[in-house]
Amino acid sequence: MCFKNLPIEFDEEGNARLKEGVANPYSYEVQEAPTPIEENEEKLQELLARNGHIRRVDFDPVTRVAGALAFHTVVDLENRSVLETNSMATLFRGYEVILKGRDPRDAIFISSRACGVCGGVHSTCSALALEMAFGIHPPPMGVVARNILLSLEYLYDHPLHLFLLAGPDFSEPAVRETNPELWARAQGTPAPRKDVHGFGTLAEIMTEMTPLTGKLYAEALHMTRVAREAYVLIGGKYPHPQTIVPGGISATIDVSDLNEIHLRIAKFFDYGQKVVAIWDDLTEFFYEANPQYADVGKRPARLIEPGQWDDPYAYDGTFENADEWGRKRWAPPAVIVDGELVTTKLSQLNMGIEEFVEHSFYEDWTSNGNGGPQFPTDPAGNPLSPWHPWNKETIPKPGGTNWKEKYSWSTSPRWDRMSMETGAYSRIYANALAEDYSHLNYIEPTGSSLKFNVPGATLPSAELEWKIPQTWGAFERNRGRAYCIVYSALIAYENVLLGLDLMRKGETKTSVPHEVPKDFRIGAGFWGAGRGYLTHHIVMDKGVIENYQIVTPSTWMASPSDPFGNPGPYEEAVAATPVLENFEKPEDYKGIDILRAIRSFDPCMPCTTHIHTDSRVIKREVVTCACGVEDDHDH
Amino acid sequence: MRVLVGGVGYRFLRDGSIGPWLSDRLADQADNGIEVEDLSYHPVGLSQNLQERPPYDRLVLVAAVSRGRPPGTVEAYRWDGELPGRDAIQARVSEAVTGVISLDNLLIVCGALGGLPDDVRVVEVEPADEGWGEGFSPEIEARLGEVEEAVWSSTRP
Repeated sequence: MCFKNLPIEFDEEGNARLKEGVANPYSYEVQEAPTPIEENEEKLQELLARNGHIRRVDFDPVTRVAGALAFHTVVDLENRSVLETNSMATLFRGYEVILKGRDPRDAIFISSRACGVCGGVHSTCSALALEMAFGIHPPPMGVVARNILLSLEYLYDHPLHLFLLAGPDFSEPAVRETNPELWARAQGTPAPRKDVHGFGTLAEIMTEMTPLTGKLYAEALHMTRVAREAYVLIGGKYPHPQTIVPGGISATIDVSDLNEIHLRIAKFFDYGQKVVAIWDDLTEFFYEANPQYADVGKRPARLIEPGQWDDPYAYDGTFENADEWGRKRWAPPAVIVDGELVTTKLSQLNMGIEEFVEHSFYEDWTSNGNGGPQFPTDPAGNPLSPWHPWNKETIPKPGGTNWKEKYSWSTSPRWDRMSMETGAYSRIYANALAEDYSHLNYIEPTGSSLKFNVPGATLPSAELEWKIPQTWGAFERNRGRAYCIVYSALIAYENVLLGLDLMRKGETKTSVPHEVPKDFRIGAGFWGAGRGYLTHHIVMDKGVIENYQIVTPSTWMASPSDPFGNPGPYEEAVAATPVLENFEKPEDYKGIDILRAIRSFDPCMPCTTHIHTDSRVIKREVVTCACGVEDDHDH
Repeated sequence: MRVLVGGVGYRFLRDGSIGPWLSDRLADQADNGIEVEDLSYHPVGLSQNLQERPPYDRLVLVAAVSRGRPPGTVEAYRWDGELPGRDAIQARVSEAVTGVISLDNLLIVCGALGGLPDDVRVVEVEPADEGWGEGFSPEIEARLGEVEEAVWSSTRP
């Protein structure tokens, strides 16, 4: 059974339908949120007076994160546990509002601006949504070009996270300051994979991860450039490409472009091996020093992955065939619940998505008195929730922060009413579980691991294996992301080879002509970002956008609690994090374990504070405060 | 003498966009060893680009920066090259790679990572309106000639 919580069942032929005899199948009762420790200042003061080891620790903003994320915690430093967590997206992202009434093609360029790191993925996701709505799809070379661009974005993105954003938490200055005993141990611990990365001890690795001065830090900066250089050969510029259009790409591609890209991808064969060796050594070192490090950022392996990198001969852009072309993607669409693969069907993935706003600064659009949802079913006749993105309306409703009520500008996306995580690693997790993925040439899923046959460059060729970990936590997220450098490079390589093959066949067309339909249409783009899941849902009529909904990775992961009482993934992961930091006095506490837990998700808060209406600007600077409820801030 | 003139800022933010607006406007007039470019991209990339080029003798940057001065204030100065502490630089690098574009960010990141000539001149304008849209506020509109002249003056030996 695919769904445990939604009122959906399947007939003998596998067609989805609402369960019979349920009067209001999607209705739910809001579970009262747990009473916050800080419900009132008096109670908090009483706690603090009794026990100076209970501290409120707010990270506002969480640094080394794109955009505006604040995190509120209450920590018991004596028992070394986290008592309370709240994740806050502190700015309103108004793209859904900005895009209303525009030419749908504008969405490709405007939605790209949702992120200064990975704008191109929004452009492509938007193009996919438009293709579904327009009834077109690219020629094979257009698909290959998009696949290459996607890989290159990841080859920019993953080193950046591993060494510039998350990496400093594992560098010499951070480890020395927060766990000096680990630094001493690292100095005497030989690095098992020295032959690959070249560093003799764990301390050397940590030293070279030091911001600004470390070799690994500098090398990562350089490698992001290599990826960007390759990207602009097709994309024109980065991070906001100019060549993504509905039906393919507007650039031509020749052999020299592919060769130039190949030269750069090959550098990532070596670099990927090296980064994997670094993060394998680091992870094992921390686990051996203290097995509790496996629990930092721990949560159940519940992941959602829309699939990405289309098969150029299978993708036809239709929703009706989405299960077919989705299944042929390099990374399969997948929902993983507690480590088990629940589905690889895009239709089921789409069917299970809902967005809730009980703890978000929005109005519930289903209470607008318009009767039932606009789309009770998808284009293939599968049931859809009133809270599905195709039915969603974005109605901002700023207000005061209250941990029991509303405290974030992120909605709470859920699949089958469960909080889901997503990330670079959800691709390899899904791919590892989907054993029958036989069309991969350099990647072999085994059901419990993923093997990579990495071609030799300056380092000899190698077989690497990422194994599904027993415990899913912060170190495994980072380690998984390191393997994703190899994964992305190999998929890019396969697509370069496909491109050369198409060139030999004379199939060099990169796009098809299109016209903007004037009648009523809907579409959806299912794609990925550096940080995982990305979907765009469009409703259009009379040639303009009627509704546009974007669900990003951080919407899933930074989400506040849902109406069923489930915390968002960041909240859940931090709540499970043990306090392993070494400090003498409570006031010396830095929160490194919490920060490692949060940053392991590679948070990226799509950010804008500008909302366009017919009367132009209506608001800026909505809120940047993670203060406690007693501070009574209005947003 | 090789001089690079660069505008810095986001587009479509009224006065906040004076940097890229001026780099577009001045590009056609570049001559005699003066190059004009829009430098409104992430400064890590700019640092890498500058390090690959033949060195410039001077860099002239123009941007709108809110520092609480009366709107329309124009200030031209030679940057002293002073950098903040390591944590602050790292914070700026993080901002740079995640999409932040600003004059201060550019100076600090490029100053730390390399690529800037010894002689960096800055023309700053205090904006009156950084709301979304094209065109300038009356305060800035009235000073455009002065800003342009300050840029050209900054290129002279």
